[in-house]
Amino acid sequence: MSYENDIDKSIKNSSELPEKLDIGLLKYFWQSSPITGRSGNNVPKFLREIDVLKNFTDNELRVLSKSMHKRNFSDSEFIFKQKETGIGLYFVYQGLVDVIVEGQQSARREGDKIEEDNIIITLDKYDYFGELALLQKTSIRNATAVARDKTVLLGIFKPDVEHLIESHPVIATKLIQSISVIIANRLFTVTQELKKLKHKIVKLEIECEKNKAE
Amino acid sequence: MKKIRQNKNTGELARLVFFFSLFVLVAASLISLRRIAAPLAVSYVFFLILGPFIPRLIKMGLSKSTSLIIIYLGFLFFLAYPIVKFIPVITAESQNFTRYIPKIEAFVKDKYEDIRFEVKKRTNYELKESYAVEAIDTTREALTSFLIYIPKFLTSLLEWVFLIPLFVFFLLKDGDALKHMILQLTPNSIFERFYYLTHQFNKQLGGYIFAKFIEATIVGVIITIGLYLLDVRFFLLFGLIAGITNIIPYVGPLLGSAPGIILVMAEYGMGTTTGGVLLLYLIANAIDIALVFPILVSKIVDLHPIIVVVSVILGSQYFGLVGMIISIPVAAAFKLIINEIYNEIYSARFR
Repeated sequence: MSYENDIDKSIKNSSELPEKLDIGLLKYFWQSSPITGRSGNNVPKFLREIDVLKNFTDNELRVLSKSMHKRNFSDSEFIFKQKETGIGLYFVYQGLVDVIVEGQQSARREGDKIEEDNIIITLDKYDYFGELALLQKTSIRNATAVARDKTVLLGIFKPDVEHLIESHPVIATKLIQSISVIIANRLFTVTQELKKLKHKIVKLEIECEKNKAE
Repeated sequence: MKKIRQNKNTGELARLVFFFSLFVLVAASLISLRRIAAPLAVSYVFFLILGPFIPRLIKMGLSKSTSLIIIYLGFLFFLAYPIVKFIPVITAESQNFTRYIPKIEAFVKDKYEDIRFEVKKRTNYELKESYAVEAIDTTREALTSFLIYIPKFLTSLLEWVFLIPLFVFFLLKDGDALKHMILQLTPNSIFERFYYLTHQFNKQLGGYIFAKFIEATIVGVIITIGLYLLDVRFFLLFGLIAGITNIIPYVGPLLGSAPGIILVMAEYGMGTTTGGVLLLYLIANAIDIALVFPILVSKIVDLHPIIVVVSVILGSQYFGLVGMIISIPVAAAFKLIINEIYNEIYSARFR
């Protein structure tokens, strides 16, 4: 790792490269060998890198990866649309995903033309989206997700969670714990935001009354 | 936005066309190849009954292959044991039963004569004698055609004895892989909906079949034990008939109780035994209707009684006995799909 980092640094700084064995090249040949290369189930490794799945052991990640679905999307293909009913959570395995809210009015330009589509966020590798659909009974998607490149997603859906609960309750519990963490974090930020907004409103009200008094 | 819509590529369309044509092709070939389709359907039923036990064993810490082997051996035992143990008894009983047929015929004719006399006395309307004769003739014809059909049935049964355990084993072993493969082929634009619908349907079907299986067993056991206690001949045969016909909704219990009651009336006359048997069938069906059905079956398949009756009639008209049995799951599938379309088209307005 450190060797590669050094190389990377020196490439970035465009300084001279050390005259040593090119491990990157060696690694390439090692990985492309017919014995190690073909077994390539990299999904557990990928899941290991995801922060919210930290409490899973390697074996649990392997079992979890078996009940996930790899979905391939081409550039600018819809993953799901706003207001559709959704049943699952996706991890970005490869590529980019745009999250778009359609027909959202921006409050600042009230008189202006309504801005139709707002790209809220672009999700990269290791990001996840759609976690509410896994928990709600009939979940309506809040936004549209569009693949912004050749994208591979890992999806886990309600039926898979049901199966996991039946066969591997510990893993199912950990998964639901992870999703709860995601949602709790989101709720926390929303609450913070709400507090700020309330504070702003109170300020504005006070200013309004001052203006009236004057 | 426009760019996205334009780019919604032809690849997706090709995938949709491919997926649905594959679907139609498989369905059409299964319908035309009945020799494969019938044992496959039966194996699928067994698979739905046995499948839920696998996760339970895995939960206990066994590996998937070990739990598969345990369940499969159990299945073979439960399949083989009744065949070895009960089939000779039941064959002997049915052979004995054929000897009773003339006696029953005479009894029915006799009763009919009595009824004719009563009707003549009270309403002065003379019933034709040919009614009873015709009824007996049709029954006898049906019975002989059934007897002729038996060898053919036995050869297919031999085939089934090999095919069904094979199919069940591979469905249990590779069912998940097959599911993953089908889902891999599912086009992106319909993936979530397709997955959810098929899952929902499989769950309902599995639950329904499991519940029906339990229900038929309960009714069969009650009738068998009751007839045994009442010391009626052929109690095992009649218990089996009652259990099997119970699978058919509404009409089944009537069909199942008819042979037993008629035989008892012919054999013992209008005595206490006949009364006991009538009461037994009534109690068994009352338990079924009042306790087993509402607790087990109706919670799983939530269909209106009218729809149940209509679908059973339609099923019997187009596919005979098999149609009567499969009518409820098929109706449930239609209900699921129609519900989904309704949600898609109508509730969209309220979002």
